[in-house]
Amino acid sequence: MFANFRLSLTWLHTWFGLVLGFVLMVAFFFGSMSVFDREIDRWSLPETRIAAQPMPSFDHILAQRFAQMTEPEAEQRAAAEKRVTQPLPAQLTASNWNAYTTHRDPVLLTYVGFAVPHSTLPDDTIYAEQTIDPRDGHALHRDQLALGSGFFYPMHFSLHLEWHDIGYWIVGLSAMAMLAALVSGVVMHRKIFREFFTFRPERNPLRSTLDLHNLTGVVALPFHFLWALSGALIFVGIYFPVVGAMMQPVVEAHEHEEALHSGLDHDPSGKPGTLASVDAMVAVAKAHWAGKGMPGEVGFLSVNHVGNSNAYVSIYRDSTDRVASAEGLHFAGATGKVLFEDPPDGPVTTVNAFLVGMHLQQFRHWTLRWLIFIGGIVSCICIATGFIFFVEKRKTVHARQGRAGSRWVDALAVTTVTGMIAATLFVLVANRVLPESLADRDLWQKSAFWGAWLVLLLHAMWRSSALREARRSKAWAEQTWIIAALALAAPLLNALTTGDHLGKTLSAGYWPVAGVDLMLLLTAGIAFVTARRLQRSTTTDDLPVAQEPEHA
Amino acid sequence: MRTATLSGWHIASRVVAGVVGSYVFTWGFVALASAGLLTAGLEFHEGTNLASMLGLLVYLSALCFAFIAASLARGWLVLAGGGALMTLAGWWLSRSLA
Repeated sequence: MFANFRLSLTWLHTWFGLVLGFVLMVAFFFGSMSVFDREIDRWSLPETRIAAQPMPSFDHILAQRFAQMTEPEAEQRAAAEKRVTQPLPAQLTASNWNAYTTHRDPVLLTYVGFAVPHSTLPDDTIYAEQTIDPRDGHALHRDQLALGSGFFYPMHFSLHLEWHDIGYWIVGLSAMAMLAALVSGVVMHRKIFREFFTFRPERNPLRSTLDLHNLTGVVALPFHFLWALSGALIFVGIYFPVVGAMMQPVVEAHEHEEALHSGLDHDPSGKPGTLASVDAMVAVAKAHWAGKGMPGEVGFLSVNHVGNSNAYVSIYRDSTDRVASAEGLHFAGATGKVLFEDPPDGPVTTVNAFLVGMHLQQFRHWTLRWLIFIGGIVSCICIATGFIFFVEKRKTVHARQGRAGSRWVDALAVTTVTGMIAATLFVLVANRVLPESLADRDLWQKSAFWGAWLVLLLHAMWRSSALREARRSKAWAEQTWIIAALALAAPLLNALTTGDHLGKTLSAGYWPVAGVDLMLLLTAGIAFVTARRLQRSTTTDDLPVAQEPEHA
Repeated sequence: MRTATLSGWHIASRVVAGVVGSYVFTWGFVALASAGLLTAGLEFHEGTNLASMLGLLVYLSALCFAFIAASLARGWLVLAGGGALMTLAGWWLSRSLA
């Protein structure tokens, strides 16, 4: 595009990195939060502050629970009504029952699939979901919001933009832009090894911002690359549904062959059938794993073709001690006999499952969990310093020429850096302040998040007028003060409303809540120090730096 | 940077080629690679997974290519034309599979 290869890739780095960088901030920040999603869930749902539980008895607890889940989620049903050629019957029949848990879950996610008849999509299924207490099977209140796994985690990959899965597409494109920014970043910086050891905090702010951008980019380069790539890989079926869309006969032939080979029918028989004891099948599965020298707990259990004579039960070992998820063992529902064991994955599928499992990290390894969290935060710093460098490099020229570019970039950078952190803390505070009995308490919490973020956007836009004189926006310091205040308030409110103060959780060794509280206090401390320094330098920052290093 | 020498339309066309053209190209790649690998005898999941995994790297390369291609016309020709050709070839190959 430009005079040479390097300049063309520099353009790609600057502009794709800038425009999609705001999305990447959301993806990496909430991805980092999702590393501790189960712990944030415990913090935000005080009634679930109990020890992790294994998969409960199917025969005594899950069977009754599933039998009561007869209605798919209203919004899923409404969406399905738009893609059927004949009106949906008032009562859909359940086609599969599923329960999922991990070594960090005191509660159990259950969901029921309902086949959508006369749909324009193949194998169209909609779901009912319910989180239950596995000790007695009672359902958690629907208005409760699991902030970690129910709000931060979907934000990480879908931005909560559900219309035509547009959020998934934006995040997927951003992941590709991240990879392109890494490739072009390496091409731009030929002295990459030296930059690894270069940080000059005492020099001018433009130079030290660039140093930090390069340092964080290089030090975690494999992390940035692998997590963006594996993230896109998880949803590659959404992005490139090539085989399903173009080669349906091949897919059907494969499904037919697989069903013949495994004895697991692809379609329900249509004849009524009974279900033998699933607990007995679980016992067989556990004995089978123990016999293979890998005893373990059940992670995922499903009953397929519910109520039909060819119903089958699939039992999967959990992934506590492995990266990729395990092969399933399948039983005939009517007799409880083993029908089929999934063969070990081939080499390609093993690599695929490893990359996906690495990204989703359901294994038990706290050192790695922390390293992945730190990797995510380093990615955020790399992206944020990219924004700051963009503004610092251009603000003097833009101010002189009366152009608003760096002003709006600065406002959006404030919003996606300090604003996003503050809005996240605000929803934690809202979670503790809103009355327990409030109807639609989940919606109130979500609204608190979006409302706070919008206010912080407006604040950042208002304060960015300082950029017209090439001065630093006061929004950075002010929003950092807000972060400090909210991060201090959240653990105090947790102690006040639940009684689980740090003295209690630490002495009990209850790390999910103690850990979140400690991280909040650490955030408050860092924000306090940062806000003071920002305030000091904002007031003395009247001399914009003119010197420009060679970079875009 | 020498953006001043390039029109806004040229840059917009590069961006669309990088995002959409690369998508068309990658779609074609995944179609042809899936059908080709299955024809070569790979197991269904092995073949389709390999095609999708490589597809992500192909998209990344195509995105970079859209910006470094010497001429815009050639960039579009390779990305959209190549994508369409590979899609057709993949579909044609897949017909003999089922």
